Amino acid sequence: MNARALFAFARMGFLDMLAYRVRYYTGVINYFINVTVYYFIWKAVFSANPGYGGFRMEEMITYVAVGWIIRSFYFNNIDWDLSISIQEGKIAMEMMRPVSLPLSYIGRAMGEAAFRAILLAIPVSIVLAIVFPILPPKSPAHLGLFFLSLLGSVLIVASLNFLVGSCALVLISIQGLLRFKFWMQELLSGLLVPLALFPAPLRAVSSWLPFEHIGYTPMMIYLGKTSFAQVRSTLMLELCWVVGLLFAGVWVWNRLSRAITIQGG
Amino acid sequence: MPPLIEVANLVKEFRAFDRQEGLRGAIANLFHRKYRTVRAVDRIDFRIAAGEMVGYIGPNGAGKSTTVKMLTGILMPTGGEIRSNGFHPFEQRTTYTRTIGVVFGQRTQLWWDIAVAESFRLLKSIYGVTDSDYDARMKRFDEVLEIGRYLRTPVRKLSLGERMRCDVAAALLHNPPILFLDEPTIGLDIVAKERIREFLKEQNRQQGTTVLLTTHDLADIEELCARLMVIDKGVLLFDGPLAELKRRLWREMAVRFQLRDREQAEKLMAATLPGVTMQRSGDLTVRAKFDRERQTSADVIRGVLALAAVMDIAIEEESIEDVVKEIYTGTSLREPVA
Repeated sequence: MNARALFAFARMGFLDMLAYRVRYYTGVINYFINVTVYYFIWKAVFSANPGYGGFRMEEMITYVAVGWIIRSFYFNNIDWDLSISIQEGKIAMEMMRPVSLPLSYIGRAMGEAAFRAILLAIPVSIVLAIVFPILPPKSPAHLGLFFLSLLGSVLIVASLNFLVGSCALVLISIQGLLRFKFWMQELLSGLLVPLALFPAPLRAVSSWLPFEHIGYTPMMIYLGKTSFAQVRSTLMLELCWVVGLLFAGVWVWNRLSRAITIQGG
Repeated sequence: MPPLIEVANLVKEFRAFDRQEGLRGAIANLFHRKYRTVRAVDRIDFRIAAGEMVGYIGPNGAGKSTTVKMLTGILMPTGGEIRSNGFHPFEQRTTYTRTIGVVFGQRTQLWWDIAVAESFRLLKSIYGVTDSDYDARMKRFDEVLEIGRYLRTPVRKLSLGERMRCDVAAALLHNPPILFLDEPTIGLDIVAKERIREFLKEQNRQQGTTVLLTTHDLADIEELCARLMVIDKGVLLFDGPLAELKRRLWREMAVRFQLRDREQAEKLMAATLPGVTMQRSGDLTVRAKFDRERQTSADVIRGVLALAAVMDIAIEEESIEDVVKEIYTGTSLREPVA
């Protein structure tokens, strides 16, 4: 797999997203609606309990807004794409390319991320920054580390999605499993509620899972709530998850594709 | 010269489970499943030399597509050995697929929502086709397949024939030495079929591309393939030239005689010619059936003319479809001959 082929797949991911206009416009609006809903919920919570969970109200609003902005960047659907391709047998054609199949999917996810950064995350940020009081990052250094962590987020999401999507090789129809993973990710990435507000047992479970590095880790760096001393170990842990999930995805694919059956002849 | 493709003792088994019927059965299936092993390809052997065009036929579910999927490296064989262009297809798939082109008639490798040209650009970069090769090949594809005017259209808006022409071109963009086609003419009209056949013939002649194609349309075989393999229930039943298959299956021939009057017809029915069976098929018509291996139609005609007053003669030709129908339904090739 050379860089040029990876780029070619990224480009196709990009073009595929542009194929339908309405899908794009509604995407922007959906993010705005979500942030608005959580803005009012947290406003109500904080007017009753100022300083709840160690957050000031402005920090919480920033957490919600930036949390959704980065979600518009790291999110992708390659788990659905892969499982549908397997379920409908289209995977046969994809396996005919002289490119490692896991990497072609990861490449597509990267292309989608580039698209999302430019065409979703930036416009969504502008709209939200006009409407809501969003704090800037703690310092330029925090901003740099935040972007580094964000690169990890998108790689974790892509490799996790590939890994879960590969389960369709044995289970064929995995819509239920994918929905379960989706809500696990929405909850444990800290998108809906910061992990600091979770009860201790749930916090403990979450620390053994990769989800918190998708949203919570970069957000806490952005807000400056992770000290520079902790940032190093947090980012190392995130990197371990990236590498681990990437290898797990490739390994599972290589194992399971030995017994692949092409659906529909 | 060693064969380009060599297949020895190839076996593919799938594990299937029998679904129990009804609601009760569906619930029972959640807890317990009875599995059985289905052998889709059963100890197949063949060799294909460089530059050959081979047709691969058999009824639905015979194991054709499974064989092609093993040859292309998508499926892992349960047993046996495949060497194709020096590779083990499954183990070395990503390098091997650089040297093959594949068309599955029922699927497309083009991106559904994006203009055809973008799919070609993707293929160009993943196969590392140079600009000059790309331009030259696209020009040739446009000349024979006339795909130029579809390049800006998303695949979902193309008709089946248009899409298939694009898919055939896409499979050959990197000019592979081997081309596998699984039912490339399925569902196409006669003009589209002709165009694809012409193109494949030219590709084989000019570039020396080795072609293996499965089909249900025997005109594909007659026009393209000097060699034919027949598979049924996973077993290779025949491997040889089409003429040889015809000669072996097409042993019974018939000549139809129209006689001058009823008296002459009855006279002919009463007569005996060695090795010929007479059959009354109309008031004045008699069919003389014989084994083409033992007698020629000239002998039979000469014999009949000496016996009765004949007005008209017609030799009945069995069509290739009839020959194949006989293979699929009958037992004529049940003993493996390959």
